[in-house]
Amino acid sequence: MRLRLGLLLLGLLAAAGLSAPLAAGWLGLDPFAPDLFNRFAPASAQNPLGTDDLGRDVLLRLMQGARVSLAVGVATALAATLLGTAIGLLAAWRGGVVDAVLMRLADGLLALPALPVLVVLAAADTGRIGLPRGEPASDIFRIVAILSVFGWVGVARLARAAALSVLARDYVRAARALGAGEARVLARHVLPNIAGPIAIAAALTVAGAILAESTLSFLGLGIAPPAASWGNMLANAQDLVFSAPWVAVWPGLAILMAVAGCTLVADGLRR
Amino acid sequence: MIRLLAGRAVQIAVTLALLSLAMFLLIGLMPGDPIDLALAGDPRLTAEDAARLRALHGLDQPLLTRYLAWAAALLRGEFGYSRLFAQPVAQIIGPALLSTLVLLGAAIAVSAVLGLSLGALAAMRPRLAPLADAIAILGQSAPSFWLGILLIIVFAVTLGWLPAGGSAEAGGWEALRFLLLPVATLAMANLAAYARHSAAELTNVLRAPWITAARARGVGEMRLLLRHAAPNAAVPVLQVAALDAGSLVGGALITETLFARPGMGKLIYDAVMGNDTNLALVALLLVALVTMLATLAADLGQRALDPRLA
Amino acid sequence: MAARWLTLALLLAAGPALAQPARETLTIGITQYPATFHPNIESMAAKSYIAGFTRRPLTARDADWELTCLGCVTVPTLENGLAVREQTPDGKAGIRVTWELREGWAWGDGTPVTAEDLLFAWQAGRDFSTGFGGSEFYRRAYEAIVESARRITLRFDQITFEYGASGDWVPLPSHIERARWEAEPRTYRTRSAYETEPTNPGLWSGPYRVTAATPGAGVTLERNAHWSGPAPAFRRIAIRTIENTAALEAQLLAGQLDMVAGELGLPLEQVTALERRARGRFRFEYKPGLIYEHLDLMLDNPILADRRVRQALVLATDRAQIVARLYENRQPVAHTGVNPLDGMHDDAVRQWPFDPARAAALLAEAGWTPGPDGIRRNAAGDRLTLELMTTAGNRSREQVQQVIQGMWRQAGIETRIRNEPPRVFFGETVSRRRFTGAALFAWISSPENVPRTTLHSSEIPTAERNWSGQNYTGFRNAEMDALLEALPIELDRERRRALWHRLQAIYAEELPAIPLWFRSDAHVWPTWLEGVRPTGHLTPSSNWVEQWRVAR
Repeated sequence: MRLRLGLLLLGLLAAAGLSAPLAAGWLGLDPFAPDLFNRFAPASAQNPLGTDDLGRDVLLRLMQGARVSLAVGVATALAATLLGTAIGLLAAWRGGVVDAVLMRLADGLLALPALPVLVVLAAADTGRIGLPRGEPASDIFRIVAILSVFGWVGVARLARAAALSVLARDYVRAARALGAGEARVLARHVLPNIAGPIAIAAALTVAGAILAESTLSFLGLGIAPPAASWGNMLANAQDLVFSAPWVAVWPGLAILMAVAGCTLVADGLRR
Repeated sequence: MIRLLAGRAVQIAVTLALLSLAMFLLIGLMPGDPIDLALAGDPRLTAEDAARLRALHGLDQPLLTRYLAWAAALLRGEFGYSRLFAQPVAQIIGPALLSTLVLLGAAIAVSAVLGLSLGALAAMRPRLAPLADAIAILGQSAPSFWLGILLIIVFAVTLGWLPAGGSAEAGGWEALRFLLLPVATLAMANLAAYARHSAAELTNVLRAPWITAARARGVGEMRLLLRHAAPNAAVPVLQVAALDAGSLVGGALITETLFARPGMGKLIYDAVMGNDTNLALVALLLVALVTMLATLAADLGQRALDPRLA
Repeated sequence: MAARWLTLALLLAAGPALAQPARETLTIGITQYPATFHPNIESMAAKSYIAGFTRRPLTARDADWELTCLGCVTVPTLENGLAVREQTPDGKAGIRVTWELREGWAWGDGTPVTAEDLLFAWQAGRDFSTGFGGSEFYRRAYEAIVESARRITLRFDQITFEYGASGDWVPLPSHIERARWEAEPRTYRTRSAYETEPTNPGLWSGPYRVTAATPGAGVTLERNAHWSGPAPAFRRIAIRTIENTAALEAQLLAGQLDMVAGELGLPLEQVTALERRARGRFRFEYKPGLIYEHLDLMLDNPILADRRVRQALVLATDRAQIVARLYENRQPVAHTGVNPLDGMHDDAVRQWPFDPARAAALLAEAGWTPGPDGIRRNAAGDRLTLELMTTAGNRSREQVQQVIQGMWRQAGIETRIRNEPPRVFFGETVSRRRFTGAALFAWISSPENVPRTTLHSSEIPTAERNWSGQNYTGFRNAEMDALLEALPIELDRERRRALWHRLQAIYAEELPAIPLWFRSDAHVWPTWLEGVRPTGHLTPSSNWVEQWRVAR
């Protein structure tokens, strides 16, 4: 039930993102072209959700924003899951000092106040380490990279706990006794059995990344214009929130839907 | 127990040391030192002024030298001066830390009480469970600054019941009124975690034979919940509190910015952005220390309450 | 349980408790907190604003941009004999200027403000290890002579037309500060009473003194008992710092703030929107100021080195439309860096209109012809692409940037937007000339400020010069250089005006930067407040707080 509701929400948003160019053609509007004569227009047939501070269609920008925001969420989850699973597995499999060091690192990161550290990372100059500055694609990459720094911890802890219990099972011992290689044990027996908890952690990471992107945008450190993300749409709308509240309400609702969708999926998987 | 504490102490010390090095380098590597920023804001400064001021503030030294000097001073207990506020760092952090601890303490208390109530509601009246769930999930999913702005629009600007931000000049009720909106904004995000954990725990407990026995003796539902079941739910509450201490500080940054409350979150942000290395580092380390201690305390509390973990 | 809900309900119903019936207090919102209260360390708008209430300089420019006395009796001029031309000991043309302090002027602890306080300020400023910001004034003022308790003379080794202005040289309370400074000038900055005990009444010489300061949150001022001028209207002035402008507006609407200072207030766009909704609740005034928004063009870029392309860029930018639509015509379009309110502005300076046809013709003449996708190309087939940069996170600039991108696109110019946080942008990209196209930012100037550092060819930042100078575009023009050298030492106002007109003509023709507009301060006052006169320059309105009155 929850799983279905969550997937439905996310599916809707993803479909909106994918159909953004189609909708732009259909409405005959360009979500990136400013129109100074049509600023803050209320909802109408031409602009179903009104227009923003530069006269651009809010609905089309929301759909464009879905692409960026969901991309940030999914990419962060992917990176964090891969890294986290690998580290969790390694810790559980090797045990001993490796386990202790990795898990203490995870505990340390978990206890840190993440947002201030993210602010430092986001304000750092990517140009200094050879990354291009300010391109939209590198912007997304930068955000994904800094969110993954913290994102992997949750996945790693879950993966380790699950892997430990699997490794202690009789059939793993039996497989080892029968001479199965360690790689084979991990790939054939452990990984499939810890996929459940990892999927849950991944869904929660997507939610966290979408929220974090909006928070960084609020602080002026998110995705740069003219690209649209829900976070920067929301941040841009805040100055005029008292005169044009709808411009702020819609991206907020989009974030709410996406995060609630991910949470529902995670809940659904848990049962 | 001693072993555990000693291990944790070492871990905390190592984390702090690594964090300070990483942050010092990151902040130092950002281009534009304080003097560059001053130049951009004052058309009358000349190049000689810049070089003179840079030497005066020791900014012409290599980064690592500056880190070692800074760390040595810190170990001697000298926190240095804040560039942004031209005051000793300790003097600025004191009131800010107090203000943030009040905010966070209130937020934890509110979200724990409300979360437990929602959890209890869900456990006692399974038909209402979806409602409790929906509230919790929505609270968790809303971006906190968005929620904060909405609360300001409704309660401060439209209804005029509560102040839109700032802090009270007097204590007592007045101070409480100033706290309500920021605490509500902050508490919503963590409600869900408390609700979910307590609902699960309470549902289990309420199925236990001794509860059935108590019910049979004619103990009222309310009393049953408060006297018999609730203590068991304290464990998950501590667990959530321990896990969320770090994220709460991030929430504090947002609420402090939006509600214009002086506090650690905003202080760290301003210090990083204003290139105030001394203030940024000491504040960041202090917050990290407090969160780690809070996590440790919650862990210990959990062990004390739940013999299975001891 | 019921009782608890009742308390909560009562608590909520208590309503805004901040309404003051007697108007004893004025609560002002600003967006910045001063880094320091010391008059000479680090210049900052928030500090100047608070200083207007609590300190007084000798001279300042008033709301009509005329130099007037605040702490002195008469502005020194050659005509009234308070300024006298003379030779410096090493034979250069110099000048000696005498200021006489107002009678009865006193610090908040009752100690009179005397020439000793100015002498101390001069000594501290001359000692460059003290760490004062600008040192130009002190470098030029080579000797100070205390003539009496209320008269002091400075000798300068250079004559400029602004000889009567005392600038940043303000009295420092020597009875408090001298001992602290003499102990060790290098660390004086952190031991100054302005930092360690800002609520000491003896530090303040204005109608108000600081009675409480909460870093990052606000400053409370109360009447200075020893102020000898006209008594100000309010017993108490509370200044609150709220950096987030949405939060600032919320507190204004919730009745927690009486006014928002225009000098450090809400963005213009936000205020025009507020005015539409709350015209009866507040009074609004828009004052064009000296903040010059422009696009610096990188003249080393071969595309932009061609003057025709620069002129085409201006012609393709509909500045009047942007000002009308985004700012409701509240700020004037700029034609050069000289403000229309400045006495030296040339009203007949070349004013580029919005003219896409002429822009197209100029671009075609420069060899850029339209390609199949609408973007122009040159003979070699290169696309006409420019990078357009500004400070990331500055919403107003990012907005303008996107509009300009759209307008240039119409003219067949492709722009790539690349924004950086202010510290990267100003600290490196602009100041080390690492931008390749156009950089959108602002210059803050003062009346008749000679733009030497931004336009003189010797001020182009290079690695050899340790990146000093602010001629970021790389503008070289021999006539401009000569004008910039002649201007500061030309004392005759009319001859100076002729030089200024020539300077503006060259600027408008050569366009080292594309002028956009001068930013306006948007002041929001309660309907019952009268007498606030915004100045539009760096001396804030708070310097005339004695004239602020509650309307009857």
